[in-house]
Amino acid sequence: MGRMERPLYIPVILGTARKGRASEDAARFVSGEVAKREGVETELIDIRELGLAMDDEGESIKDARFSEQMNRADALVVVVPEYNHGYPGLLKHALDTNLKEYVHKAVGLCGVSAGGFGGTRVVQNLLPVLRELGLVTIFWDMNFSGARKLFDESGNLLDQTYVKRADQFLKELIWMAKVLRHGREHVPL
Amino acid sequence: MTETDKMKCPDCGAEMNHHADKLDHGAAWDEAPDTGEGGVVIEAHACPDCGRTAARAAAP
Repeated sequence: MGRMERPLYIPVILGTARKGRASEDAARFVSGEVAKREGVETELIDIRELGLAMDDEGESIKDARFSEQMNRADALVVVVPEYNHGYPGLLKHALDTNLKEYVHKAVGLCGVSAGGFGGTRVVQNLLPVLRELGLVTIFWDMNFSGARKLFDESGNLLDQTYVKRADQFLKELIWMAKVLRHGREHVPL
Repeated sequence: MTETDKMKCPDCGAEMNHHADKLDHGAAWDEAPDTGEGGVVIEAHACPDCGRTAARAAAP
């Protein structure tokens, strides 16, 4: 398949393994919005299912499938809850298992919190980590405030204003994904 | 920069584009010298035909 026909691949990473996580509903919503975009393929990657070793760190404990997904990705969406003002340790553990796979790829962040700040602090805390991994952060975030009340028992979104926010977020992410793909593949260092 | 030894895509064999040098703080790249910055420099390459990415240690 030629490069013009090749769809973008933008997986959504669900960045917590906590039981009862509200972030799962947010991640499924965002993943659904990504899937609606023409020319974009996506899937939901649940870090709970990666089964990474806990007695080592970094690229030595790569999960082959996750690494291949990161290699194929043109951009990432990371859905991350705010735990004690920070990001879940397991998310950092998972992200650190790759490096070269991320270089010059776009990433957008979706903060999730039970309170009213929508994970703004965890988004800020995660930015320098993503930069060091070689990812290119976009300037739109999504912030899911009061996450426990944003979705019904079946995981359906109750506040439709998030649809418009997702549209703005994804327009920027997809633009950046296209530009960076062109750069990676055609613009020499 | 002039590339005399372009990487070939491991999937489709096309000539890849060297688009970045990245300091790697974690990996042990035996063939690359430590830069003194706490890691080694890796070259990031991408395939213009299939999009695959690959990396290798930068030349000393």
